[in-house]
Amino acid sequence: MRPIVEFAAVTRAYGARVALDDVHFELLPGELTFLVGPSGAGKTTLLKLINREIRPSSGRLWVAGMPAHQIKASRVAELRRRVGVVFQDYKLLPRLTARENVAFGLQVGDLRVSDEEARDRSLDALEAVGLGDRGDAYPHQLSGGQQQRVAVARAVVGQPQLLIADEPTGNLDQETAWQMMDLFEDIAAWGTAVLVATHNVEIVTRLQRRVLTLVQGRLVRDQPAGRTGRMAWLASS
Amino acid sequence: MAGVLVKGRFPRRRLIQAVATNLVRHLFGGAARSWARNIGSTAPALGSMTLLLLMSGLVGLAGFALHNLEQVESGQASLLHVYLRDDAKPPDVASLWRHLLSDARVAGVTYVNKDQALERAQRIPGLPQLADATESNPFPASLDVQVKKIDDVAAIDALVRYDVAVDPVYPTSYDKGAYQRIQAVLFGTAVAGFALLGLLGFVAVTVTMNSIKAAIHARRDEITIMQLVGAPRWMVRGPFVVEGAITGAVAGVVAGLVTFGLTFAGIAAASGAFTRFAPGVTVTVAAAAAAVVLLVGLGLGSGSSLISLRRHMET
Repeated sequence: MRPIVEFAAVTRAYGARVALDDVHFELLPGELTFLVGPSGAGKTTLLKLINREIRPSSGRLWVAGMPAHQIKASRVAELRRRVGVVFQDYKLLPRLTARENVAFGLQVGDLRVSDEEARDRSLDALEAVGLGDRGDAYPHQLSGGQQQRVAVARAVVGQPQLLIADEPTGNLDQETAWQMMDLFEDIAAWGTAVLVATHNVEIVTRLQRRVLTLVQGRLVRDQPAGRTGRMAWLASS
Repeated sequence: MAGVLVKGRFPRRRLIQAVATNLVRHLFGGAARSWARNIGSTAPALGSMTLLLLMSGLVGLAGFALHNLEQVESGQASLLHVYLRDDAKPPDVASLWRHLLSDARVAGVTYVNKDQALERAQRIPGLPQLADATESNPFPASLDVQVKKIDDVAAIDALVRYDVAVDPVYPTSYDKGAYQRIQAVLFGTAVAGFALLGLLGFVAVTVTMNSIKAAIHARRDEITIMQLVGAPRWMVRGPFVVEGAITGAVAGVVAGLVTFGLTFAGIAAASGAFTRFAPGVTVTVAAAAAAVVLLVGLGLGSGSSLISLRRHMET
């Protein structure tokens, strides 16, 4: 199976400070992977590299078949249409309803999508995240968990090959966080690679999925699914 | 295996319709909404650009009139009146005429007798009283020499000044510094006009750039989302360019209407005097100037936005 994401000796420095150092790993379709590490370990930098918000200082990085380390600025939008992104602060447009937010993501990414198609697909996506009846609600009328679900619907409505999420449960209570993880598992089950950066230890340990651990910019552990218990680091050494 | 949404092939007409609808909505609709929402921060740009365009329109029309005036003056300055002695013998006059006609620098020579000179003087403002003050005709006969190039007028003057047929006291109409003085005044006026327009242009572009910068700041969340969902660069930047163009167009329409209105009022109120002081400036020319002002406004607004986007929007 061809990897969706491939990091090969990727290093990213901000001036003299090295945020990511010689990182190697691959993500396969349908794989739900957690990215963990202390604050400042390089998690956000790694996600930004995947979405081509920044370029690597050295190394090669392939995302959904595109060389993110060398593509021109004019092709960045094409790469981003293959990657769905979910943020801790949701980033919904307050003047648009839930359905319009999802459709907005679809139509600005692809002008060929008609209003009817955008409406149908955005309602399908909202239905899939359990918000089929809240399409006409504005973000301020929704709870944090519901807003995050809308953000997930917007991220997946374009059927990306990869979904990345930066602290998606950071603003949610534990119960809602678990619902969000169920959603990510469902998305991965349909073949989309999902990479979730999180500090939520309970979720990571209980879900028993693959875990990438970053410390001071280095990928210090890559624990396979089902081997993420307290002694799991033994398996990755 | 990823879930696949199976879509039927869209008829081409519906595809074009969908693309056009989305383009209008995101490019023009978004820009118009944002422009209306940010009218407060756009007002200074709108005001300075309107002032600039109005000044440009009026200075442009004044420049056009001055250019035409210069052409008239140039034509008059290259017409040399060679005044003949009252007692000049016809063979001497004919000889001088032939001599002038054979000169390659001369375009034509016309003989004006004393009666024609008097008649002409009576048409010149201020001279009828002088012409009527005496019973005798004080105006001499002349040879009116049309010189091809204005720079050769001095040489032709030197050629005829001491001819036996020419009046020794007041030989020609040549005034050495007159044309140069007119040119100096026109040049000075043009430089001052361009300097003023340059200053106003700088102010208008700077203020417009700042208003676009404010618009970018106000819509930064929307911009971020558009960029992250894979909107092409032109689609993220396009609404801001359109927003700048709207500012320029509104300023252009106002300035164009005022330019046209003022010129039209001037023509209607004092057509004779207006034609003399601003030759060539007609209603058609005023309408053309208004159209140019509008186009310049569009260009200036969208250009300022582009510069601002290059400086302030991250990719």
